[in-house]
Amino acid sequence: MGTGKTMKTPLAWKNIAHNRARTAIGVAGVGFAVILIFMQIGFKGAIRKTATQIYDALEFDLMLRSPAYLHLTEPRYFPRSRVFQAASLAEVAKARPFYLGLSEWQAPISHLGPTSEVLGDVEGGNAKDSDPAGQWRSIITMGTLPHDPAFKRQDICAKAAQLSDSRFVLVDSESKPEYGPVGGKEFGPADIGVETALGPHRVQIVGLFKLGTGMASNGACLTSPEGYVRACPWQTIDQVNFGLIKLRDPSTAASVRIQLQKIYGIPASISNAESFRKLDASLLTNVDVEILTRAEVNAHEERRWVDDTPLGQIFQLGVWVAIFVGIAIVYQVLSSDIANMMGEYATLKAMGYSNKYLTRVVLQQSVMLAVVGYVPSLLVSTILYEVVESASGMPMFMTWQIMLTVLLLAVVMCVVSGLGALRKLYQADPADLF
Amino acid sequence: MPSLTTIPATSGAFVGDLQLPKTVKVQNLNYFFGEGELRKQALFNNNLEVRRGEIVIMTGPSGSGKTTLLTLIGTLRTTQDGSLKVLGNELQGCDRDLIVRVRRQLGFIFQAHNLFESLTAYQNVNMAAELAGLDPMIAEGRIKSLLTRLGLGERIHYKPKSLSGGQKQRVAIARGLVHKPKLILADEPTAALDEKSGREVVTLFQELARDEGCTIIMVTHDNRILDVADRIINMVDGQIKSDVAVQEASVICDFLKEIPLFDHQTPNTLAKIADQMMVQEAESGDTIIRQGDPGDLFYLIRNGTVEVRVHDGKQERTVAELKEGQYFGEAALITEEPRNATVVAKGKAIFYALEKKDFREVLERSASFEEELRQALFGRQ
Repeated sequence: MGTGKTMKTPLAWKNIAHNRARTAIGVAGVGFAVILIFMQIGFKGAIRKTATQIYDALEFDLMLRSPAYLHLTEPRYFPRSRVFQAASLAEVAKARPFYLGLSEWQAPISHLGPTSEVLGDVEGGNAKDSDPAGQWRSIITMGTLPHDPAFKRQDICAKAAQLSDSRFVLVDSESKPEYGPVGGKEFGPADIGVETALGPHRVQIVGLFKLGTGMASNGACLTSPEGYVRACPWQTIDQVNFGLIKLRDPSTAASVRIQLQKIYGIPASISNAESFRKLDASLLTNVDVEILTRAEVNAHEERRWVDDTPLGQIFQLGVWVAIFVGIAIVYQVLSSDIANMMGEYATLKAMGYSNKYLTRVVLQQSVMLAVVGYVPSLLVSTILYEVVESASGMPMFMTWQIMLTVLLLAVVMCVVSGLGALRKLYQADPADLF
Repeated sequence: MPSLTTIPATSGAFVGDLQLPKTVKVQNLNYFFGEGELRKQALFNNNLEVRRGEIVIMTGPSGSGKTTLLTLIGTLRTTQDGSLKVLGNELQGCDRDLIVRVRRQLGFIFQAHNLFESLTAYQNVNMAAELAGLDPMIAEGRIKSLLTRLGLGERIHYKPKSLSGGQKQRVAIARGLVHKPKLILADEPTAALDEKSGREVVTLFQELARDEGCTIIMVTHDNRILDVADRIINMVDGQIKSDVAVQEASVICDFLKEIPLFDHQTPNTLAKIADQMMVQEAESGDTIIRQGDPGDLFYLIRNGTVEVRVHDGKQERTVAELKEGQYFGEAALITEEPRNATVVAKGKAIFYALEKKDFREVLERSASFEEELRQALFGRQ
């Protein structure tokens, strides 16, 4: 008898559509939570993205670096000879040294006159406090061979050719205004030719490149190995931060690593950076280099930024907070909806509708709230992503993975609230109706 | 001698087709609210039989347990003690699946209409039709005709917000009836309705009872609709105080009216006498009373025929034959002498018997009634 044959009356939808005010609150609640989740995930994604932004721009299949490596801006160094040794293998197409470290950048003092006035003209006279002219800033300084740059991107490689003198630098146009661009906003063609100090020496900006540095630093510049050593005098040209190995055939990475381990005298039991860290330090006293694949490099860097830094944890936590806020709001909406319709639901029970049917109605309502709340939030979030990206320079990408993840989270969030609200529904006692 | 049963004559249990199935059968039903110290008995040892197609009206003061009994019959409460059979299913100790199955054969009409504000009148009624698995085409026809009959033809697609209280109640009634339930349980179904729609509702009830064999039990205080009742149950303090099959009661009263002994009695008194009578069954050849025995009961023949035999010292002869509507056994009660004849059933027979003390009480009251009347007439001058 009536075994779920044609339950056509779309009760859940009718309830949602009927009580517009309450539904609006629900949709707003879901929307608020969804936007929060989108932003947190966006930020987290941006951190992850920026964590490997520089590595992503470099050309390598295997990376050599110091076993004491901490993170991008604390890479430590190892002997350059290790890079040359790697170049001797037949499978290796290129083995390039790469230098990277934090140096000090003095925001250029404008030769157009007192900078504060110039900035004042541009920004409407209120920029005096933020006038960066002459201020020293920490900056990511990279050193690569001008004739054989280690970058994947052709535009950067082309620019690198200009680094014919150790006094020349290229500035990342994504660097923040605090590094003192002429216009006061961002580095552009007007900055070419400007002289300033990098570390203990003077340098000249000979060009621009576009890379972005993310959370590690607010600015970056690129120079030759000689220029790098000038800027970071605690390192010599024989001490490199990275060795970037490009293979003729990337599929040989594993066997090349084994060969390199033999050459470098690394115990065979060590196959990646992880096992390095677990080993007793005494075993490694004469090991000065470790070998990583690109995937290992990325994984390490992402973990470092997303899981280990407070920033990453805050955004991770933010996702949870957003979900709980959403659950609380949707629960309120659904449970007050149910409370208002106790009599009706109890009547359905008396008529012989099963708890299963009522559960389905409430869960349908939850999912509808989730979807209805999701769509506008997706639009708003996409716009917010743009706004944040243009304001902070953090790369916020709305990928379909993020959309799907958030939709899923929104549905799960609403279903959990619905399940909570259902307990009330099960208490609906038809005996109270008479 | 066949013994006297405890079944009241007016219950109508022994007339008509005895094989007619019982929609509801309540036996020794007790019900308690609360637990432990606070446990309070709400129903005390109730017995009730409701036949297929009967319209039953339950009355009684509030707190008398009629609603509790109604919710128990409607499977909305779990039985605790005693037996309760609804539509042939024993509800005592049954599982949830059975309850859901039984519920789908019931039609509930609650005092609160409990319509979904988000659904139109049509959709609200359709909730019940869908559950019963009615064919959508058939359902549509039924819903429309029901709502039209209940005076909502113009408002079929209105939401409850745009309906008056009475109109909402009528939608709820349509919802309770649309799936042709075998048993309708209603709580003050006509309370919110005007005379005309109230009448339409009970007419609908009567049609369902007559045409579909639908049984209807309603709690009501609306005396405008008492005329549709086949049975009137009165509850007081958790007990069924009277359970009267209206038609049978009126048959008994008609019989009593014809008896010269009672011809001065008002209909009210006759109804009381009828209430006090108990059923007695007899098989062919059973002796109902024996000459020479002390008299204790007055008999009214409901069914069958009897022979009256008198033994004159030498031999017994049949002096009379009595049939349905006639009576015997009054002489010994009036004269306080032993029975002056023997009465034997000539076939299967049913009697309604009145006890001596009740019989004498009526006679005495009758005397005082006459006396009173005389005094009244005398005082007129």
